[in-house]
Amino acid sequence: MSKKQHTYDAIVIGSGISGGWAAKEFTEKGLKTLVLERGRDVKHLIDYPTTNKYPYEFEHRGELTLAIRKENPVVSKCYAFREDAMHFFVKDKEHPYVQEKPFDWIRGYQVGGKSLLWARQTQRWSDFDFEGPLRDDFAVDWPIRHKDLDSWYSYVEQFAGISGNKDGLAELPDGDFLPAFPLNAVEDYFKKTLKEKYTGRHVISSRCAHLSQPRQVHFDQGRGKCQNRNLCQRGCPFGGYFSSNASTLPWAAKTGNLTLKPFSVVESVIYDEKLGKASGVRVVDTNTKEVTEYFAKVIFVNAAAINTNLILLNSTSSRFPNGLGNDSGVLGKYVAFHNYSARISAEYEGLKEFTTDGRNPSDGGYIPRFRNLLKQETDFKRGYAAGFSAYRSPERDTSGMGTDLKSQLLNKHLGPWQVGSHMMGETIPKKSNYVKLDKDQKDQWGIPLLRISVDYDDNDAKMKKDYLEQMTEMFTEAGFKNIKPNDGGQAPGLDIHEMGGARMGHDPKTSVLNKWNQLHDCKNVFVTDGACMTSTSTQNPSLTYMALTARAVDYAVQQMKKGEL
Amino acid sequence: MNRRLAIKQVLIFAGAMALLPSCLREEGKVSIQLQHLDISATQEKLLEEIAELIIPKTNTPGAKDLKLHLFVLKMLDDCYDKKEQESFLKGLQAFEGLAGAELKEKLIEANSGKPGLAKEVGDFYAIMKSRTIGGYLNSKYVMSNLVIWELVPGRYNGYFPVKTA
Repeated sequence: MSKKQHTYDAIVIGSGISGGWAAKEFTEKGLKTLVLERGRDVKHLIDYPTTNKYPYEFEHRGELTLAIRKENPVVSKCYAFREDAMHFFVKDKEHPYVQEKPFDWIRGYQVGGKSLLWARQTQRWSDFDFEGPLRDDFAVDWPIRHKDLDSWYSYVEQFAGISGNKDGLAELPDGDFLPAFPLNAVEDYFKKTLKEKYTGRHVISSRCAHLSQPRQVHFDQGRGKCQNRNLCQRGCPFGGYFSSNASTLPWAAKTGNLTLKPFSVVESVIYDEKLGKASGVRVVDTNTKEVTEYFAKVIFVNAAAINTNLILLNSTSSRFPNGLGNDSGVLGKYVAFHNYSARISAEYEGLKEFTTDGRNPSDGGYIPRFRNLLKQETDFKRGYAAGFSAYRSPERDTSGMGTDLKSQLLNKHLGPWQVGSHMMGETIPKKSNYVKLDKDQKDQWGIPLLRISVDYDDNDAKMKKDYLEQMTEMFTEAGFKNIKPNDGGQAPGLDIHEMGGARMGHDPKTSVLNKWNQLHDCKNVFVTDGACMTSTSTQNPSLTYMALTARAVDYAVQQMKKGEL
Repeated sequence: MNRRLAIKQVLIFAGAMALLPSCLREEGKVSIQLQHLDISATQEKLLEEIAELIIPKTNTPGAKDLKLHLFVLKMLDDCYDKKEQESFLKGLQAFEGLAGAELKEKLIEANSGKPGLAKEVGDFYAIMKSRTIGGYLNSKYVMSNLVIWELVPGRYNGYFPVKTA
């Protein structure tokens, strides 16, 4: 095929949560857009083989076999890698990497990427988050603030469908929400307790990407009301939660401007020395290993944080010997994540007149960051958000056998409320937490393996200790009993919130991207996935990627119209 | 022979082939396909009895009706390592040859963790009991009739009233 036939207006690398948004925005604005996806196609509804299965229809009732666990020591640690959804995860052997330090890299190589599998939590960032690095002297200053994203947050919230309350909290700005999923009796009780006994500590209904009450724009996408199945990781037959597959990609396809190519892994972005910008991408067919080049005026790299770093680092030229847009030398460095390594559980004997009925897809309550929020108050930097949820299950004494055991298994008498919380800690991006290319080893597509060197530090340890102490105190204040702090720990990566490596910043000497997510040194290449993050704050990051993406596409198209790109 | 009859005979033959292994079985092999375990039909029968003693038939089906021993074997075969499997089979030996009241008595001992019991008897019983319970609670019968599991709840109430006392 000729170069002309391989030319598009825009190329988007990756079809996950941010790539899907880039595809939607470009195609809606009339640009012929090529979306490259390294994995297979997953069509909404059609390719959700387990979505309507009952637990007893799974050979091992959902459990992983020993053979699968042995072959996949990394991905087997992920809570959602079970018999019902394991086909949406990358198996360890499929794409190896070098762990200089333990790092559980959880990946979903398919159309839709991890948007099929995400936990669907969607909390906005506030200026307490964007101003963090400047105030607390770490990383570099974010080149944007909430006001820059505010209208874009609303824009993506309206289309994706975000359920939540307007809570009026400065640290967690309100958005354009569908009705919230309610807190239950004990979640509400804990909320009231914190309000009475503390200043500035709140429990809110988690804001989540579920259609509690769909609007016309959601019906137009072919999506319907969330049916409280909580089987989301299998793909939803109602389109009840937001994914690229259910939402942005079919929307983009409807414009007639979308070309979606699965099985296409990007080896590198091609830099044209004469034009002084990128001209296209080099793609390896993952089945045939055939290499093809595609060309476009603008390129969005949305390969998921770490793979975006890999592509940029592997895009070398005489102008950019150390990776595309890497004049600063910071590309691949200052990788950070969320510290999810502690949790706590307890019981509550009160409110026994209530239980829950049905399922809550929002996961219950969310405690926004309160530590070091208004000012520095501890010996560690930043803080943590936390989940908080409560439930009851039947009390079953399984110590017996025979008819006694059987009646225990069938009894409906409910035990006390069980409550639980997990921490979501901000980690500080550091030069020493990095990803880089292995000098010798390559993957099956001829692309260098990544070496990942990311670890916790002393700040994380202090923060974790504080989380467990504060939660223990709050649980005690609420009269919860049998409090069990658990800092069992987990390696970085398993939070699946890896971020950074191509951070945004004002200064090309210390950052990779400018305030429009544009490479400082190669203006027609943009990064709007997790790789762009200057700091991590505590909120689940996907909503911010969506907003950054829509904003960056809008900017890119304006620049193209002006002839600047 | 007309074509229709020929096809019919082929189908009958294929059906018979599918049935053959179980027809030919004497002492033979277990009735489900296992990758790693070597279980005799006698052992299978014993496991069936043990499962039934753990979760018996009452006015609702028990372990035998729900074939929970086959689920235990499936899980043992696919989800445990060789050492655990060997220990299970060794523990099972302690029950071989027992039936009726004797078998029940031995199981009650295992269930109560009676001091002096061989370690592998405990290992066997732990897997046998927990997997029988898991198979029971996750069975189609229980999930459809006794402890209902809904595929599409379509609702959430955080203040669902419970009758107390």
